[in-house]
Amino acid sequence: MSNAPAEQTPTEEIDLAAANHIIDKYLTLHGNLMPVLQGIQDEYGYVPKPTIDLVAERLNVYPSQIFGVLTFYAQFHLKPRGRYIIRVCVGTACHVQGASRIVETFFDKLHIGHAETSPDLRYTFEKVACLGACGMAPLAMVNDATYGSMTVQKVEQIIADYNQRPMKK
Amino acid sequence: MVNLTIDDKQVTVPKDATIYDAAKAAGIRIPILCHDKKLHPFGGCRMCLVEVEQMKGRQIPACTTPVTEGMIVRTSTPDIIQARKMVLELLLLKHPIDCPVCDAAGDCDLQNLTYEYKVNANRFTDEKFQHKIDYENPLIERDMNRCIHCGKCARICDEIVSYGAYSFLNRGLEAKIGTEFDGPLNCEFCGSCVSVCPVGALLSRPFKFKARWWALSKTKTVCSYCGTGCQLTLGIKDGKVLTTIYDENQGFHNGQLCTRGRWGYQFVNSDKRLTTPLIRKNGKLVQASWEEALSAVKERLFSAKTAGGESAACLVTPRLTNEELFVLKKLFNVALGSQNIDHSAGYAHNALSAGALESLGYAASPSTIADIQKTNLLLVVKSDAYETHPVLGFEINLGVKRKGVDLRVVSDKRGKLSRLPDATTYVHKPGSEVLLFNAMARVIIGENLVDAGASSISGLAELKNSLQGYAPEKVAEACGMSADEIIVLARDYAKAEKALIMLPLGLGYPGHGKDLAQALINLALLTGKIGKEGCGVLIMGEKNNSQGAVDMGVYPAKGGKDAVAILDGCAAGTVKTLYVVGENPVVSYPNRKAVEAALDKVEFLIVQDLFLTETAEKAHVVLPACSFAEKDGTFTSVGKVIQRVNRAIAPVGLSRSDFEILNALYAACANTQPYADVAAVFAEISENVPAYKGISYAGLGENGVIWPAGGTPRFVPAEGGAVQGESGKYALLTGSALNHCGTLSRFGEGPMYVCPAGYAELSYTDASALKVKNDDLLTLKSASGEVRLKAKVSARMPQGVIFAPYHFGEESVNTLTTGAPVTWVNVSK
Ligand code: SF4
Ligand code: SF4
Ligand code: SF4
Ligand code: FES
Ligand code: FES
Repeated sequence: MSNAPAEQTPTEEIDLAAANHIIDKYLTLHGNLMPVLQGIQDEYGYVPKPTIDLVAERLNVYPSQIFGVLTFYAQFHLKPRGRYIIRVCVGTACHVQGASRIVETFFDKLHIGHAETSPDLRYTFEKVACLGACGMAPLAMVNDATYGSMTVQKVEQIIADYNQRPMKK
Repeated sequence: MVNLTIDDKQVTVPKDATIYDAAKAAGIRIPILCHDKKLHPFGGCRMCLVEVEQMKGRQIPACTTPVTEGMIVRTSTPDIIQARKMVLELLLLKHPIDCPVCDAAGDCDLQNLTYEYKVNANRFTDEKFQHKIDYENPLIERDMNRCIHCGKCARICDEIVSYGAYSFLNRGLEAKIGTEFDGPLNCEFCGSCVSVCPVGALLSRPFKFKARWWALSKTKTVCSYCGTGCQLTLGIKDGKVLTTIYDENQGFHNGQLCTRGRWGYQFVNSDKRLTTPLIRKNGKLVQASWEEALSAVKERLFSAKTAGGESAACLVTPRLTNEELFVLKKLFNVALGSQNIDHSAGYAHNALSAGALESLGYAASPSTIADIQKTNLLLVVKSDAYETHPVLGFEINLGVKRKGVDLRVVSDKRGKLSRLPDATTYVHKPGSEVLLFNAMARVIIGENLVDAGASSISGLAELKNSLQGYAPEKVAEACGMSADEIIVLARDYAKAEKALIMLPLGLGYPGHGKDLAQALINLALLTGKIGKEGCGVLIMGEKNNSQGAVDMGVYPAKGGKDAVAILDGCAAGTVKTLYVVGENPVVSYPNRKAVEAALDKVEFLIVQDLFLTETAEKAHVVLPACSFAEKDGTFTSVGKVIQRVNRAIAPVGLSRSDFEILNALYAACANTQPYADVAAVFAEISENVPAYKGISYAGLGENGVIWPAGGTPRFVPAEGGAVQGESGKYALLTGSALNHCGTLSRFGEGPMYVCPAGYAELSYTDASALKVKNDDLLTLKSASGEVRLKAKVSARMPQGVIFAPYHFGEESVNTLTTGAPVTWVNVSK
């Protein structure tokens, strides 16, 4: 009995066709693990568990090592991410300007905490350190859009706005 | 060679040595934490810092720095001592320092170095780790709060075990050792990581809170499971074997063990051990005194002797020592006048006792274990070689990864070996091995790849003739391989400068017999690949003393009955007294129904064992025997290594060693004096067994002696036909599971935790056709019986092929088999 983990049945249901395609593309490339994992993240928005098993099997790399790589680099995500990533700065300047109230309001309204994603996959919420625009403190970002001088009302407006936006990219 | 000075001592070392190696050679100890002689240098802990004058006194790690000519090294200047203290202070910052409850205390490098460097205060403070302790598996406790990030566990699991369970996860302060998805450990459980962990982060759970390290006494001996012959150090307290102790300097394997060797020791002190003799009275086995039991046995043996001996027969396990086997054989051949003695149903020794004997002139492998890492091309017959002999599997791993050995696995299913870098696996149809190897021989002859020396070996013309029908194109289909693959494999094998073939044997592999061994020996003889370093055929006996049993001649000769004939004789009434020593035919011999019928029929059944096995339950008299830990003697392992087994504890209960029992019976039946001791028997062995000539018991030393093989080889044509499939049926292959060996490991808690019962392994394709998933119950039905086994779906199985391990008594697969290499079964949900 070989107990190799890659030979166990996958648990999460996911379409592996795209992942297989990405692996095909890089199969013969030397040092192909990083581009394959990046490709998968771009495709699925995160790196789903079954794709890790698949990559392990097809590239003959231990799943533990892949997991080591995925947790080493901040760019990789192991859970599905929201369509809209809300970041609230809790750096010194923002903190002084009341960032914690902004954070709490988001928590209350979205019912998700730090680094969590809403079940409908619309939002992921993150507290971050100084975003480099202290003059606009307290600061929030949604994807690439910046919102300065945040207030509780503005939080509500932002949520109302993004609730209307499309889920498709 | 390079000359350098270390602490004013002149040292000369090979140029690939590190400063650490050089210091060691000069007898200078440099403290280490992350370095291990078996692993690639890592240079992570900085405990081994030294100063090199040429580098302006800079502090550099000794374990990763190569020596250079004229180097002047200082290993313990005040600055260095200071730096090492600092390393320890930093490590202790996060470490819980819970030595009073840590099982590693006394055997912990961190504790010992902290003591040595007198680090009794810390200049720094920090929060401790808050990692959850992994208690999910019953064998290895992982407390990452104690981890010092030396990386040895991850490296050994990758470099030697090739399982790769661990990796460094996260980054910076968050970094830790973890598994995939940071989940609980679920691996092979070989315990290599536990053995190299310098602290108490990885611990053996079965040993937890059993004893302090310094309270254990140690006995060196040899593992009693498979034929690899790994050396073991047993840790003993109060007359009990409590653990195995890692010793990196022990044996060819540097102290590495597999899951059975490391955790299977628990059978020794199992509460299921038989502690008194049993006698059947009114249909029930009841406790009896030794006197009563032995006199009943003697009476039977005497009457068999008077009747000419032929009505007595013996089935014995090759787990006994050479001395025990020798005395047992004498008891039957000399004292009783019976030639009816056999072991392992013939299946696990035929390749040696018939195949090698005829082809090579001696019944053993021409090669040794050391050849594995010295060869260029390794042809492994069946991926199961990893399961049957796991530590030889480690040797293969190392050969492939460190020495660039070209690995070719020829197997009826894929396996762990197939995953090694650049390994090629040829998956052939079940039972077609001999066809395939004959076809290779034909290619070698046809393409003039025959070695010049082969012409002087007798039988070449007959061999050539016999290979007419084996053209690759002809057999390709029956083998399930393409003719090209066969041709390329034959060429590569023939053209390799050195090539070694490995052939695992075992009760689970009835196809691995005489013909297969001879087909393989023919290949080696044809290409001049025998009798040279890194060459030959390594025939791997299944049990700890399989080779010894063959050496002692424990198989029928002079018209004696073999195992099958003995059981037939029991059924027919010609065998009236059957003495079963350590064997468990009910579970391990093919055709369970027939075996049970024979044992039920025989007039008098004596079973000598450690446990009340399925076979012992049928006995008229049961004699409680001792485990390997309770005896002295010798085992002969794969590659003909005779090693000393040393008694570690007194016999459990009233049990007696097989030697003591057999010695007494022999003396009584032969009407002679018993042997004085084991050494006296060994002395007689070395007089009587030519291969052991001149070898003395005392002279075996710690690493044993390889008996010298010599004989006149010849080509013997091997018969190989195509295995006829049966439509709508699956090919059932039996064999060994990684965690088990024979039926003995069922009494070791460790192996049973990991693999508690039989299963039927099948491909994803077959699973979806049958609509089964893991753990669903499957019914397997053959011409001889039916069993129900849990499904195990795996990517390694080809379509139409099912694998089932043979070790288990319940739903035992020998209900289905009758000794053919492949059994055709119907499978349903
Ligand atoms: S027990 Fe063996 S297989 Fe499991 S993690 Fe440790 S070294 Fe690896
Ligand atoms: S668990 Fe042990 S062997 Fe592994 S990194 Fe930590 S201290 Fe080293
Ligand atoms: S079972 Fe075999 S491989 Fe495992 S430790 Fe024992 S002798 Fe070595
Ligand atoms: S502290 Fe928030 S942007 Fe700098
Ligand atoms: S032992 Fe040399 S750096 Fe760890």
